[in-house]
Amino acid sequence: MNISDVTDEAPGVRTFRLNFQNEDEGKNFKFQAGQFALYSAFGYGESTFCIASSPTRKDYVECTFRQAGRVTNALSELNAGDTIGFRGPYGNVFPIEEWEGKNLVFVAGGIALPPLRSVIWNCLDLRDKYKNITIVYGAKTVADLVYKNELKEWTARDDVNLVTTVDPGGETPDWTGKVGFVPTVVEETAPDSKDTIAIVCGPPIMIKFTLPVLEKLGFKQDKVYTTLENRMKCGLGKCGRCNIGCTYICKEGPVFTAEEISKMPDEF
Amino acid sequence: MEKTLKKEKFNSLITGLKDKGYKTIAPKKDNNLITLCEIQEADEIHFDHVQTNNSIKEYFLPKTEKILSYTIEKTKVSIEEPEGFAVKSVVFGSRPCDAASLPIMDKVFNWDCTDKFWIERREAITIVTIACDKCDSYCFCTSVGLAPDAKQGSDVLLTKISDDEYLVETETEKGEGLIKELETVFSEPPSGTPDRQVATVEKKFEIDKVKPWLDENFVHKIWAEFSTKCIGCGACTFVCPTCHCFDIVDECTMSKGDRVKNWDGCQFKMFTLHTSGHNPRSTQDQRWRQRIMHKFKYYVEKFDNILCVGCGRCSRVCPADMNISEMLEIISTDEGQPEPVSKE
Repeated sequence: MNISDVTDEAPGVRTFRLNFQNEDEGKNFKFQAGQFALYSAFGYGESTFCIASSPTRKDYVECTFRQAGRVTNALSELNAGDTIGFRGPYGNVFPIEEWEGKNLVFVAGGIALPPLRSVIWNCLDLRDKYKNITIVYGAKTVADLVYKNELKEWTARDDVNLVTTVDPGGETPDWTGKVGFVPTVVEETAPDSKDTIAIVCGPPIMIKFTLPVLEKLGFKQDKVYTTLENRMKCGLGKCGRCNIGCTYICKEGPVFTAEEISKMPDEF
Repeated sequence: MEKTLKKEKFNSLITGLKDKGYKTIAPKKDNNLITLCEIQEADEIHFDHVQTNNSIKEYFLPKTEKILSYTIEKTKVSIEEPEGFAVKSVVFGSRPCDAASLPIMDKVFNWDCTDKFWIERREAITIVTIACDKCDSYCFCTSVGLAPDAKQGSDVLLTKISDDEYLVETETEKGEGLIKELETVFSEPPSGTPDRQVATVEKKFEIDKVKPWLDENFVHKIWAEFSTKCIGCGACTFVCPTCHCFDIVDECTMSKGDRVKNWDGCQFKMFTLHTSGHNPRSTQDQRWRQRIMHKFKYYVEKFDNILCVGCGRCSRVCPADMNISEMLEIISTDEGQPEPVSKE
């Protein structure tokens, strides 16, 4: 793939917009929100990131990643015009057809907004299929919020209720959003659980404290979705690395309901 | 099809295989190690052993192999896929346990996406198995639904019927084809009932009791007890015919390189380590539990097969003298089972 655009989202976090070098491959490429791919920095290896753009936007594919190890550091050295490898899409999908006619609450923390961005835009691009859409998004500090321009877009829309928050101590003098940890802000926002689907993604600690809040608000476990991650290599069910108990995250995930997760052994 | 093969015909067999373009892999003695490796002459073959040090696995899933190559020129990358990796071969002298590992592994390598590196090698290699006429205390094939003369995975099964003669039974069309190709080497089937010399392998545990216990005991202090000695060396994984976890890495210079698939193992600490530093299996007892669970529960649930053939290599090779069949015996018996810890 060609990197056609690079955006620095936050310290150490970057988005690539990618176009297929082979136009026919690009025309034939299809994916659904929730799926992931493996991106190559040739010479360094591959990393797994969800596809962060929506399937409704067909001309490109986007991924967002944080510089953390060998491959992501190598990827962050690349610029527009460079080539990276891409293989996918892999994994299962958010069942957005089943959500039609319902309210949606998206809850994300920090670098975990990218896995939800695909499904958020997918639903916003099909806006009249869904009722109320609420997004609760928080990060450690204002600088750590990703997709800053899109957050502005979502704030400006009157068919989306966006609540942003930063951790206590992470606010700047001109910050107008909330201050508080994401689970606390979800509790304050108190979305109505009737006919509502909750989609949550964040660091393990955030998920651990958000799920009980949602339960308190009346969300049943099979109405709460998340996307898991684990160390991956092949991405297609052969190398035996990504399983949690019997479940291969690359084949039977990464999208799961809270009910499915409650049945998994405590190994993630 | 039934035939017999005399030991004196081994020379003609090996020469015949060479003439027909087959590479021959057979057990060969090298100092004290008996290894399955490529041979050129019949006198290199050694059949007076219980088990080879290595398993048949490396001929289907090599220790390391290139899965693609690339060249980088400024911003352009071109990719090349490897060819010719599946070499027409015969394994002459596999054991039934090793042969049985192949249809078991076929399931994961054909699960949804197919692995061409595995499949093309399966097509190119013919398995001639020798039934076991002796075993040792580490063998436990009969505890996992197999036998010293099991047919699963074999194209041809040889069974010793006298000091210098083997009964030859073809199990597949491929096996029949091989016998027909080398017709002159084989003799007519024996008259009467041949005296099959097959070892008696004592059953060590009831396999039907293992999975039910594993279903209930993900949390149990026995995992720490079993794995106290484990040093995480991974030898068990490497010699096991059914362990198949692998790593994918890039090896390169500035302008060209290869993407390589290498053997890996769940017993290593780095296997599940995230870049963030988080490790879902950070202690050896969690890693040891994964080994047992994968083989005797997860693979059964996914593919309806136990991921173990009872060859005993893992226990023979363990530097800490851990023994998997002893552990399975403890799990499967009610007597002497430690109290489970309360589940958190």
